[in-house]
Amino acid sequence: MEMNVLNMLIPMTLNGLIITIGVFVITLVVSIPLSLVVALLRMSKNKIVSSIMGGYIYIMRGTPLLLQLMFIFFGFHYVPVIGYAFSRYQAIFIAFIINYTAYFAEIFRGGINSIDVGQYEGAAVLGLSRTHTFIKIIMPQVIRNVIPSIANEVITLVKDTSLVYILGVSDILKAAKAVSNKYSSFSPYIYIGVVYLAITAVLTRVLNRIENKFNYFR
Amino acid sequence: MALTVENLSKNFGKTTVFKDISFTVDRGEIVCIMGKSGEGKTTLLRCINNLETVDSGSIKINNLYLCNEVNGKIQYASKENMKEIRQEMGLVFQNYNLFPHMTVMENILEAPLFLKKTNRKDIEKRANYLISELELKDKENNYPYQLSGGQKQRVAIARACMLNPSILCFDEPTSALDESTRSQISKIIRNLASQNIAIIIVTHDNAFVEEISQRVITLSNGSISE
Repeated sequence: MEMNVLNMLIPMTLNGLIITIGVFVITLVVSIPLSLVVALLRMSKNKIVSSIMGGYIYIMRGTPLLLQLMFIFFGFHYVPVIGYAFSRYQAIFIAFIINYTAYFAEIFRGGINSIDVGQYEGAAVLGLSRTHTFIKIIMPQVIRNVIPSIANEVITLVKDTSLVYILGVSDILKAAKAVSNKYSSFSPYIYIGVVYLAITAVLTRVLNRIENKFNYFR
Repeated sequence: MALTVENLSKNFGKTTVFKDISFTVDRGEIVCIMGKSGEGKTTLLRCINNLETVDSGSIKINNLYLCNEVNGKIQYASKENMKEIRQEMGLVFQNYNLFPHMTVMENILEAPLFLKKTNRKDIEKRANYLISELELKDKENNYPYQLSGGQKQRVAIARACMLNPSILCFDEPTSALDESTRSQISKIIRNLASQNIAIIIVTHDNAFVEEISQRVITLSNGSISE
């Protein structure tokens, strides 16, 4: 029976992997740069802008991602004036991007705040512009400081991609569920657990390399 | 005069740091600003370097006003003038504030390459000259964490000198240095003064002041005496 389980599970898992990896990559590629902008707006001296960003981050961190997915797909078109019916995939990408942007933004904000004021002053007395100071002096130090926290979120993101099942999209966990139901067996879940561990192992290795690359200074 | 300070006052809230202080520093002169901890020596240095705002009075660098009191209101230099003033001033911080992710050479080259006053070849030539003058020849590819306190101090001096300032300020330059490194730094500072640079040193190191200063300004209870 185990062969039958595998024969059904493998192609379904490969199809599910496209969704899992797709959601993972698009969320990272869009939310990391976006989160830097949100972090800077959150730190803005303009209290209105800062408060709006604070509210957005509060909502994103204060409610489950599952609820956000459901709201964007099932509930957003009921919102007056701006309501719109998103497709399944649009809802998935929007929910993941806005949720992870909020988490990454807080990590970047902490990273930027951790830089000693002396670095800004050192740059100012040398006549460096604020933009140049931020890009060439502050950001390399911020990136080094935030890599461990970002890495943590990246690994959480892999596992969070399984939440897309709520909108009826087949990721690798849903593939396991389908096979498990058909053969009344728990083993598909174990195989999928191994797939998650393999993805996490590869990511951990890549993230460690990036971390080591930025460890050339103290 | 390289630096003219007139009737300068600075408060932090209701606390007066200094009030109506005036002094001048000429090119080639070494002036030490002394005083007990908390008397406002570093704040004064920070005001001169535009890292703090002042409440009244004026600061003139060569012929340009960094700030000036007009009709009872402080006016700071325009963006263009500020750029010029910045290049006339250099500051060596107490904790150096080197950029930790850049090598010694990169730290030294960063500002002149950004400001593009001359071409890269000339900038590198001057950097190499300063590196050998300040005995950093074998350290140019090291990162700040790989340097001793004295070496970091010399990198900070080289970095500040790259823009050919007419005034160079030092905040507690000997606070973390041993006897022999201190002598080395005082030799470097004297050499800079001989190149017609006005040197302003904030310190409470009496031995260092005796060794190096041509004039001492004492800051006490918010006013100065010479």
